[in-house]
Amino acid sequence: MIKLLIRYFNLMVITIFALIVLSFLLPYLFPGDLLTNVSGIVPQSELQREALAKAYRLDQSYFSQFQLYLSNLFSGNWGVSSVSQLDLLEEIKRAFPATLELVIYALLVATFVGIPVGFISGLKHHNPADFSVVTFSIVGYSFPVFWLALLFITIFCLQLQWLPISGRVDLLYEVQHQTGFVIIDIWLSGLDNTKDAYLNALRHAILPTLSIAVVTTALFIRFTRRSTMDVMEKGYIIAAKSRGFTQRQIFFKHGFKNALIPILPILALQISTLITNAMIVENIFSWPGIGYWLIQAIYQQDYPAIRAGMLVVALFVLTLTITIEFITRALDPTKEETARAAV
Amino acid sequence: MQRFSLYQEEFHPSPLANVWIEFKRSHLAVFGLIILGLFLLVTILAPIISPYDPYMQNTNTILLPPVWEPNGSISHFFGTDALGRDVLSRLLYGIRVTFGSSLIIVGIAVFIGVGFGALAGLLSGIKSSVVNHLFDSIMSIPTLLIAIVVVAILGTGLANAIFAITLALVPQFIHQTRSFVKSELTKDYVTLDKLDGAGPVRIFFKSILPNMVELIVVQATIALSIAMIDISALGFLSLGAQTPSIELGQILSESLDSAYVTPWLVALPGIFILLMVLSVNMVGEGLRSALRNRFNH
Amino acid sequence: MALLDIKNLSLYIETANGVVKALDKISFVLNEGEIKALVGESGSGKTLVVKAIIGALPDYWQIKADRLTYKGQDLINMSYEQRRQIMRRDIAVVFQEPTSSLDPSVKLGDQIEESIPPEFINKGWFWERNKQRKDIAIGLLHKVGIRNHKKWMNCFPHEIPSNVSQKIMIAMALASEPSVLIADDSTRSMESTTKTQVLRLLVKLNKTKNLSILFVSHDLLSITSIANSMTVLYCGQTVESGKVRSLLKRPLHPYTKALLDSAPSFQISLPSKSPLKALKGTIPSLQNLPTGCRLGPRCPNARKECVVAPPMRNIQDHQYACHYPLHFPSHKKHATNEMVLKSAPEEIAGKKDIYD
Repeated sequence: MIKLLIRYFNLMVITIFALIVLSFLLPYLFPGDLLTNVSGIVPQSELQREALAKAYRLDQSYFSQFQLYLSNLFSGNWGVSSVSQLDLLEEIKRAFPATLELVIYALLVATFVGIPVGFISGLKHHNPADFSVVTFSIVGYSFPVFWLALLFITIFCLQLQWLPISGRVDLLYEVQHQTGFVIIDIWLSGLDNTKDAYLNALRHAILPTLSIAVVTTALFIRFTRRSTMDVMEKGYIIAAKSRGFTQRQIFFKHGFKNALIPILPILALQISTLITNAMIVENIFSWPGIGYWLIQAIYQQDYPAIRAGMLVVALFVLTLTITIEFITRALDPTKEETARAAV
Repeated sequence: MQRFSLYQEEFHPSPLANVWIEFKRSHLAVFGLIILGLFLLVTILAPIISPYDPYMQNTNTILLPPVWEPNGSISHFFGTDALGRDVLSRLLYGIRVTFGSSLIIVGIAVFIGVGFGALAGLLSGIKSSVVNHLFDSIMSIPTLLIAIVVVAILGTGLANAIFAITLALVPQFIHQTRSFVKSELTKDYVTLDKLDGAGPVRIFFKSILPNMVELIVVQATIALSIAMIDISALGFLSLGAQTPSIELGQILSESLDSAYVTPWLVALPGIFILLMVLSVNMVGEGLRSALRNRFNH
Repeated sequence: MALLDIKNLSLYIETANGVVKALDKISFVLNEGEIKALVGESGSGKTLVVKAIIGALPDYWQIKADRLTYKGQDLINMSYEQRRQIMRRDIAVVFQEPTSSLDPSVKLGDQIEESIPPEFINKGWFWERNKQRKDIAIGLLHKVGIRNHKKWMNCFPHEIPSNVSQKIMIAMALASEPSVLIADDSTRSMESTTKTQVLRLLVKLNKTKNLSILFVSHDLLSITSIANSMTVLYCGQTVESGKVRSLLKRPLHPYTKALLDSAPSFQISLPSKSPLKALKGTIPSLQNLPTGCRLGPRCPNARKECVVAPPMRNIQDHQYACHYPLHFPSHKKHATNEMVLKSAPEEIAGKKDIYD
């Protein structure tokens, strides 16, 4: 167990390092002025240019520049945006929790709807209900996320006018930005009409959440159903049946766990797709998350921002994936140390 | 229906024929295949079958509704957009670009990915599990993210988008091929080939490749659906295809300006993207089921 | 008293080529306290019979039988719940592959404790109940001959060797104190030392607990060493049935004789380079089942009448289904004296062997 921990920790460290190196190299690859790309400041005069160049050690070797980059990274000096001149770290700290909030909501929906439906469908298959579940599943994960979001807007916002189009909370409610998570912030802000504020925030969050949740739920259903069907044909299920257990007992004691364990890594992979989809959907709903911020940065060619944003998202995704893989491996008693899961 | 046979021979189809027989049994899969074929036809024949020139603007016919609306006419089957261009023709060309670029992406990715993966699997002697793990982790980054980074570096445009998505998909093929080749090399039938004196090239082409084709085809369908969604997503975000090129995601984003007045302009491109991806996924699912169940007769 | 009574059990399945009769009028009886062997090569339908008894046949099989009863209760028409109760307490099954019959993610100790029926646990507090369960589990393990239970109970299924795991399967089967134990080819892939241990265990259980055992196998050596009676199946049909001793001494069906002869006995010194005895041909596939007696195409004794399936005839508790059994004059009225005498004297004289 400890060996496993060390191995995965090593892996994480190496991967993070590789990512940092990649993000270090980005300014050299981006078009435009190298100095602006690195620092975010557009030099106004020759003097400023020279001072900046010295500060960023552009005259010295790549290695020393890398050292500077590392130290800046860890000290929190991530530079400023070349467009808005705002501090990058602050911007990211403001934007990232918004995306996380969407991701968490969607993940909750997908897990608590998708996995049980997948189980039920896998247990009783080849009947009409199962057929409609499978159809929903295939159509669901074939849907382009952005189009689904547009459809939702067209139907629920424009035609029926039930739900708001953009933002997280109406401007009427002055919610202080403390943690970045709207629900927690409303709770902490001490307004007198918190209940209304919650409702309002929820109404803003429904459509974006649903847009991303549909695809992920469809995938969860598909994988869970397939895994359940495979497990129920295994020998130990038939042996348990021959010992006279009820279907329910067999499923909950043996089927459930053995169906879930092989697919946990795949489900973890879906989280990273979830994040990407969330980033796209944010643009459509003007949800102030990191996807919205990053894509605006690309439109404006704000290279320092792109670099910082990419680093954060990639780091987050990788850490999450490695952690989940580690947890799965630690919980699963059947896999040997050297065997790798093949899907 | 009894087969009349003079001799008591049994009819055993080859495994490949079995796949097709099993595939045919699922009506959904065959339906998906037909739709896929239709899209392929459109991709090839779009310039011939589209009624109008998709670039031609006509200020007399702005925002005509499609044929099922009261003001619509059959001469512009799906109506016209804000610049008077015929929507049907634009959609046909858009299908051509989206589907065609996805095919190109997958084709190149398969070629490069399988090639390198096979080499890596056959020739590697150094046991670098670190590199393997690293590769695994990098692969878990979603393709769209990688594509966005590459587009940010190289700039927007259809060609760059194609390059970016190909770059994002190649590692998956390399990894899958490499692990497949490695695991096949430990199997007994390859050992038998080696004992017969076969060199690595012969082993690869005669023994491993036929078994790998099925895996690659399934992977390719998944990659195709990813490529289609990514290309249209990039087009939608205006990071991929730019005017004047015509791509379904891009048409979608252009139609947002007049979404209130012309809801069909929002619905139609999306429906076609959905149908494309759906047909690929149905065929993919059908193939996977067929490969799994083909010996169950 | 007959525990399992099966008469004329037939199994039908729809294939692309029409309805196929996989099992054709199988009949046998398992009495209390006896060890019965169900013999046949792969493809003879032994596993189908077991599955039909325990109710594990998928829905696309159709079952037709004159009688398929356990202790008089009809197994075909009873409800799922009734059958489940019977399977729970009275009938226990040990399958072929012990490792795949065990849940790979649960410790063995937990799995053994799980198979103890809840009505055996009667203590009050839950810690007492847990202890009682554990004690019963340890007792079961000792009964099957596993001494160091502590080591094995904390392991996972993939960590234990196959002889231990098969014994554990038998222990789990015994937990519910069944009256019938069905062993479906349980010693198939075992080495002879392990096999002997398991067989000895089965005999001991039969003697001490009066446990009736239905031992399904194709391994004649094991069967002849432990079984009281045996039924031979060929390609879904019962060909011969009776006490092991009488079948060994005087097999009436050509297939039984071929089966017995094909097991090389290392005690008899075979002359060098003598051909091994076997019937020509192979077992037919489901698509091409012969009409009538299914051994027909391969049987050296086959004649025109064999396209009609022979009925089961009984002579001194020894059943056989053959128109022209060995050691017997033919029963057919149309047979001429020539034909009647054809089989008997040549074989009695030892000149002609049925394999030529």
